[in-house]
Amino acid sequence: MSHQLGGEGGQCRQSERPCIDKHGEPRLEIADLIRRYTADVAVGPISFSVREGEFFSLLGPSGCGKTTTLRCIAGFENVDSGAILLSGQRIDSVPPHKRGIGLVFQTPALFPHLTVQENVAFGLEAHKVPKDEIVQRVGAVLELSGLSNFGQRMPHQLSGGQQQRVALARSLVLEPPLLLLDEPLSSLDLKLRIQMREELRNLQRRLRKTTVFVTHDQTEALAMSDRVAVLSQGHIEQIGTPEEIYSTPISRFVAEFIGSSNLLDVEVVGFSNGHLDLATAAGLRLKTRSPRMPIATKATALIRPERIRLVLGTGAAASPANTFAGEVRDMTYLGEDVHYRVLASQSEMFLVSTNSGKPNSPVVGQEGILVHIDPNDVFLLTK
Amino acid sequence: MPASLWLIGPYFLALVVFLALPLSNVLQLSFYTYSPITIWTTDLTLQNYHKIFTPYFAKITLRTVRIGALATFFCVLLGYPLAYYFSRCSKRSLSVGMFILVMPLMVSAVVGAFGWIVILGRNGLLNGLLKTLNIDADSSILYTETAVVVALVHFLLPLMVLPLMASMEKISMRLEEAATNLGASPLFIIRRIIIPLSRAGLVSGCLLCFTVAISVVVTSALLGGRSGRMLGNEIYDQVITAYDWPFASSLAIVLVTLIVIALSAALVAARRGNRTKGMRS
Repeated sequence: MSHQLGGEGGQCRQSERPCIDKHGEPRLEIADLIRRYTADVAVGPISFSVREGEFFSLLGPSGCGKTTTLRCIAGFENVDSGAILLSGQRIDSVPPHKRGIGLVFQTPALFPHLTVQENVAFGLEAHKVPKDEIVQRVGAVLELSGLSNFGQRMPHQLSGGQQQRVALARSLVLEPPLLLLDEPLSSLDLKLRIQMREELRNLQRRLRKTTVFVTHDQTEALAMSDRVAVLSQGHIEQIGTPEEIYSTPISRFVAEFIGSSNLLDVEVVGFSNGHLDLATAAGLRLKTRSPRMPIATKATALIRPERIRLVLGTGAAASPANTFAGEVRDMTYLGEDVHYRVLASQSEMFLVSTNSGKPNSPVVGQEGILVHIDPNDVFLLTK
Repeated sequence: MPASLWLIGPYFLALVVFLALPLSNVLQLSFYTYSPITIWTTDLTLQNYHKIFTPYFAKITLRTVRIGALATFFCVLLGYPLAYYFSRCSKRSLSVGMFILVMPLMVSAVVGAFGWIVILGRNGLLNGLLKTLNIDADSSILYTETAVVVALVHFLLPLMVLPLMASMEKISMRLEEAATNLGASPLFIIRRIIIPLSRAGLVSGCLLCFTVAISVVVTSALLGGRSGRMLGNEIYDQVITAYDWPFASSLAIVLVTLIVIALSAALVAARRGNRTKGMRS
């Protein structure tokens, strides 16, 4: 079945279309794409490129323009300016049914009057593929998707997860050079979502299918993507690997959107031994490892909750840098993790996350604990 | 007694009193013998039904079916694109379009027919237009079957469009987008998605159009002339002019039978739609 599903080089169908598959060549390029709705509501300019075989996510809150971007690529929205290139060829004026790009929607959108098999065969029939080839390709893709036993079922007889799998199979059977996924998991419940997430990722890796994935769920984006573009209000804030996005966000927006975080407005008050001295408005002094900055520079300090350590004890003065006397004000037990709200030095409230089940875990109202933050874990944002 | 029966009870009672009883009376009457003096005698006979098979009345029956079928066919042809447009257009276009579409239903059939006389008559708007265009094709549509069909299509179109629209509105735009994304051309989408999924609306639209079309009286009387007479006109004349109530009754039974046949055909068509769904599963 691999010759149809294109295990290795199958992204390229026959040779009608010149196909640039060389390593590192971008499969999809978006250049200064702008989509205007009204005079003051617009998406873009957005530019990014997706490499061959890459899993690329567009991540952002609702209304940030991620779905619009996806619909522009699929051809369901007109582009007001800019260019979309697929395998080096401009496609922004090609009608949507001739683009050959796969798209899976948030809702499965299966044809309710057709069986699973007929749903999957639909695109092949529209392309006038010969009958026996259709049977063969549909069978292969159903097997690949774990749907072999469901071919004769009607869509309404399937669970939500199975329906979404059929929708994916329906796109994959056409061997599209590019697969677009518009929040395909968000209509599923949590457990199934996590399972489908892995399934989807494995399938994508196996087929090396270039994929653009739209989501508002940062966990999903981090777990699945090779690279993530974080969008806000119609433009891209940052593009990077999940690790880069999480540990070195370039703006307050990205830091806030990805994971939970402690964000403090600070001012530079000094520099010594390769460390910047920072002061919050409430008077807390923090050290961070950072190049020199002019005194009185305003910035945002980002400290991830899992980086803060809580230690039983007193005597903050004798301890290493960034150690404060703390008081637990609130605690949320989440099973795996425990979240604390800790007031440090009677001035700043921190969100602290620790693994549950540790000995000597603090309790609410407990005093005589120390809050310790390594200067390497204080990340300075100037945007 | 379950609450649901209380809800349909009053209407059921009205149906029995005002439809079932009179209809059984008509059925009974259709087997009685005509008498010029007492209108009918209770001697049972099949004479009234035999008479229907004489060439004149057989022709009228066939014409009735033909006019109904043609009017329904053209309603489908015009109604499908309209219904699709209305199910996808803006709210504003919908309210304007609906108003224009439903107009003929709100105007009396007499007024509507008179309008068509003005248009189709010998010195009417259509011939005037043809004359100014120097086309020498003096149309003599008025007082023919064609005139009846034209007026009926105008009058019945909303009965086709409304049920079609109702089933088309349920077809999500997502389905069309998904089909487009899979490479389907607009025509392929209409053939494989829109038409199969609006089948229920099509069946009820056809049923409404056909049953109303074959039982029409005023339209065919005013526009059909001698060559456009339908069963309704014949029944009217037999009751009012000829006083042959037994024969009028047998004609009425024929009309009711035609409607029952159409209804059964619609039920079969609707069920076959469901069965293909079930059988494939």
